[in-house]
Amino acid sequence: MKYTTFNQQSTNPLAEPMFFGNPVNVARYDQQKHPIFEKLIEKQISFFWRPEEVDVSKDRVDFQKLSDPEKHIFISNLKYQTLLDSVQGRSPNIAFLPIVSLPELETWIETWSFFETIHSRSYTHILRNLFADPSEVFEDIVLNEEIKRRASDISRYYDDLIFATQLWQTQGEGVHQVDGQSITINMRELKKKLYLCMNSVNALEAVRFYVSFACTFAFAERELMEGNSKIIRLIARDENLHLSSTQHILNLWAKGKDDPEMAEIAEECREEARDIFLNAVEQEKQWASYLFQHGSMIGLNKDILCQYVEYIANHRMAAIGFDTPYEVKSNPLPWMNNYLNSDNVQVAPQESEISSYLVGQIDSEVSVDDFGDFDL
Amino acid sequence: MKMDKLYIIHLDEDTQLACHQDKTLLENLEAHKVEVHFHCREGFCGACRTKLLDGQVEYITDPLAYIDDDEILPCCCKAKSDLKIKLS
Ligand SMILES: [Fe+2]
Ligand SMILES: [Fe+2]
Repeated sequence: MKYTTFNQQSTNPLAEPMFFGNPVNVARYDQQKHPIFEKLIEKQISFFWRPEEVDVSKDRVDFQKLSDPEKHIFISNLKYQTLLDSVQGRSPNIAFLPIVSLPELETWIETWSFFETIHSRSYTHILRNLFADPSEVFEDIVLNEEIKRRASDISRYYDDLIFATQLWQTQGEGVHQVDGQSITINMRELKKKLYLCMNSVNALEAVRFYVSFACTFAFAERELMEGNSKIIRLIARDENLHLSSTQHILNLWAKGKDDPEMAEIAEECREEARDIFLNAVEQEKQWASYLFQHGSMIGLNKDILCQYVEYIANHRMAAIGFDTPYEVKSNPLPWMNNYLNSDNVQVAPQESEISSYLVGQIDSEVSVDDFGDFDL
Repeated sequence: MKMDKLYIIHLDEDTQLACHQDKTLLENLEAHKVEVHFHCREGFCGACRTKLLDGQVEYITDPLAYIDDDEILPCCCKAKSDLKIKLS
């Protein structure tokens, strides 16, 4: 079915499924099939923040004090997060907008993806402060084997869905020849690709950031790199909201509260979806090994970090109706909660003043009063 | 002045905890040193998702995280009766 930017057909958005129904026409939010997405939009907008408002200037001094293994940990994590947000800043838009059928969900996807672009911009803000020229860091993201392996896993399901959708929207259902390959396009296959893609995105939002978050907050526990930590706290808060949305979508499908065919597919592809999650967990644990290959950092080591990933994964898997495959029962890094707590985003555990007052602080930090006792 | 009501939280057969009605369920559990997984404390992350086996709660913030019909978010609800819950 050809995509249209304004579907002239009268549709009843209250009767449409989330995806693969009619294209959305009127962007209206007075009535919603799934009110949760409207609530998520409101919440996300209320979280609005600008990276430039967070003063990261003190981090430069801290960074020089870090050991080489710690610098490797810090920069590698930023690279990985840059990759994740590069993908998330565009992919929900490109993959899901052409097939979405509810106005509130369409706008949620746009709002979600927009916030990912704020995250991307914040990495530039952080890196610019640390390096006169951050090019080398950015350029390594497409060269570094560890990052590339993750990139292909993350983008694969998106790319699959996007390609199949493009074929469907331009050529319809059937068997199509593309570059000497025959590709079967039908609605069932499209929906399966959507289901797997949503599971992959859910796993990304659920566990893929947490090794990196833990390292950031472990530095902050030592009162190091606190500007960075402040930014990552804001990002973590957003990611929690994104995760809530993918959990809602998966559960609405699985419980038959949206498209009945998606409920069948959820049943049919259950193992594959579970494997997507477990694979993301394994990759995160391997990431921890890579980070600590040159040495640990105070307060964290590979084993405890892996346990933390498993602990988080258990909860995230339970939230979408899976078993909890990992042994770990209690939180191995209880201090993480102080940073993931939404109240503390404004008032940080250690210092970090409220971000909006920090604009221009770099210039005004030294005042006339500081020279009060200064005599020639 | 409204008196602070006390309810009982039944965690299992042998564990009953006093629950202040003016505090969230999460705050009550923490006051009794019960480990509950939490992140946002505002109802949107779902980390504290808990099974409600019996009783009633009221939300002080609209819960945005996904919860099943028999589940509650202790971070943003208060007890409205004695409760029987099962922590995950
Ligand atoms: Fe992000
Ligand atoms: Fe996200």
